[in-house]
Amino acid sequence: MVDIWNTIILEPVLNSLIALTNVLGGSFGLAIIVLTVVVRLALFPLTVRQTQSTKAMQTLQPKIQELQKKYGKNQQKLQQEMMKLYKEAGINPLGCLWPMLIQLPIWIALYQSIMQALAATPESLLSLSQHLYSWAAVSHAIPLGDKFLWLNLSRPDPNLILAILVGGTMWVQQKMVTPPATDPRQRSMTNMTTTMMPLMFGLFTLSFPSGLALYWVVSNVIGIVIQYFVSGGWGYLRTPSAPKPVPIPTQKVIPAPKAPEVQPSKTLQKATEESKAIKKASEEKKRGLFGR
Amino acid sequence: MSLILCIAALSLLVVGCSGPTFQGWSGFAASDGVLCFGGIDGKVYAISPTARSQTLTFPAQDEWVFSIPSLGTPGAICGPACAPASPGTSIYATPVVLGDLIYVGVYAGDNGKMIAINRLAPGYTEGVPLRSKGEWTYPSGVKSIGAIVGSPVVVDETLYAGSSDGKLYALDALYGEKKWEFDTGGKIWTSPVIEGGVIYVSNFDRKLFAVSGADGTLIWQTELSSSIASSPAVSGDNVFLGTFDNHLYAIDKANGKVKWNFEGGNWFWSTPVVKDSTVYAGCLDNKIYAIDAGTGRELWQFVAAGPIVSTPVLANNLIVVASQAGDIYVIDSGTGNLVQSIHIGSPVMAPLLVEENMLYVHAGNLCVYGIDFQNGEKVWEFCYSSIE
Repeated sequence: MVDIWNTIILEPVLNSLIALTNVLGGSFGLAIIVLTVVVRLALFPLTVRQTQSTKAMQTLQPKIQELQKKYGKNQQKLQQEMMKLYKEAGINPLGCLWPMLIQLPIWIALYQSIMQALAATPESLLSLSQHLYSWAAVSHAIPLGDKFLWLNLSRPDPNLILAILVGGTMWVQQKMVTPPATDPRQRSMTNMTTTMMPLMFGLFTLSFPSGLALYWVVSNVIGIVIQYFVSGGWGYLRTPSAPKPVPIPTQKVIPAPKAPEVQPSKTLQKATEESKAIKKASEEKKRGLFGR
Repeated sequence: MSLILCIAALSLLVVGCSGPTFQGWSGFAASDGVLCFGGIDGKVYAISPTARSQTLTFPAQDEWVFSIPSLGTPGAICGPACAPASPGTSIYATPVVLGDLIYVGVYAGDNGKMIAINRLAPGYTEGVPLRSKGEWTYPSGVKSIGAIVGSPVVVDETLYAGSSDGKLYALDALYGEKKWEFDTGGKIWTSPVIEGGVIYVSNFDRKLFAVSGADGTLIWQTELSSSIASSPAVSGDNVFLGTFDNHLYAIDKANGKVKWNFEGGNWFWSTPVVKDSTVYAGCLDNKIYAIDAGTGRELWQFVAAGPIVSTPVLANNLIVVASQAGDIYVIDSGTGNLVQSIHIGSPVMAPLLVEENMLYVHAGNLCVYGIDFQNGEKVWEFCYSSIE
């Protein structure tokens, strides 16, 4: 299994990174930036699809909450109604997951490649030798120079600059995609994600080779740019505070043996329309981006 | 989404903190029936093969263990938020002995030091050398040079050692004072070799230098197409060394011109050995090649179970080779036929030592083996992981 992973995913990425270093005059830092940009561009269609699916899902949240209130005790019915809702809105609930699952191995390979290519110790250099192609561009570049700007790429950045950049860009990116929650419990969870994760990664930067932190910064910046253009702005970054909770119908629903036809409230209708509009807009944008 | 990020963050923490490690692979210095070597645990050991074969409790007479003083770079790779993944110091260089002193090159991530220890009984107190016993460190005090990977060499009371800071140092072997230094401009992870007053040293910047042993002036330098991690071997008119472009080179020692090159299937990391116009070179493609020293023609090849990192050793008409897969091969040096194979079961990357019929092996499982290589019998083993 490890051999298959190495042959199919890790080694192509690793050798491309090293060959790129040779092409870019021996600058490993520049190679990390260029390869991150190239990989993100190659995965751009998937990122766009993921972003759109996430946004469409978010628009359905008020309606889902309403259904949860209504069918909270009947999980089976709830699932049925939710699937019906997704179908009506033309959304695949796993639509935002599978692009991420496809991208994940490539990110892991890129991460492993940076760690392996830096090969700061004799043991890691020997280990690297077992993953290299016999390309002249690769053998000429090894061992890689670890100096880039003020950084020693195989060592953590002794200044706080890179840690702040990693934490800051991650916070902006998270803030752009995370809608303000209405439920107080959900809001605290959201706040934790948007605040704690950038903090944690900022702290990691103080301990990890700065080559890896450089990759995080570049990847985050590209993520922000994609998010900006795909979603058409700064998203939820500009939302000052959480919106007022969605009004919930006050009438008491008596569970019937046969579930009645759900009459969509104004909020529900609005959410469905919104999600349809997003889907339509994304289709048009996709056509615009990739041609007809 | 947040769950995935959390898992990613935890994975990073685990991978990062147990990330690149250094262990070391020191060979042996033999003197007066005692073997000295640098352990993977960053300590220097002196062991007596006689005491070990009698399974006496360590330390027996003439035996000792010495902890290398810390250079103040815990873990080296890991930053402040991680626990160090490696011991603070390690030893890759095979120690050398002159008189009552044993010289050890120290590797500590970015830093290194050359230390001289009294081999009869180390006198260091709290990391400070005992001058009355002739001990010293270079540089002295808390200062350090680049990490030392290649083994030092002592000739005429001068110690020569290459360092990761790119410099070749010539030190007074008795007092530890610097005589001169020569900056090669690229990391030196190899051992210098001295022949006829000339020092040959290779570096990561693809260059081989011939330097005067007397004052460190450059005689010639030659640039190859790839970095050099194999220490040079000098025989006759040639210098032999291997590179990262999978080639072994024969270079004219008078002027640095390439005479021939031989292509293997991976890097030539281990130091080649030469005997009777044949070069024996271990390669990371799992093979040992026998090559005609005059023409570069392949005479035979032997395929091992793993990459060959350790420098092979010649004994009469046999060549003994260790593989990273944990096997030792005793091969007929004339034909390449296998005479004997011994399974160690742990990676062997340290240079081997042969004395009469005995082969000494320092393996990655923190054990040293005394093996009768004629019949393949493990005579004794000394595992130092349990020693306080």
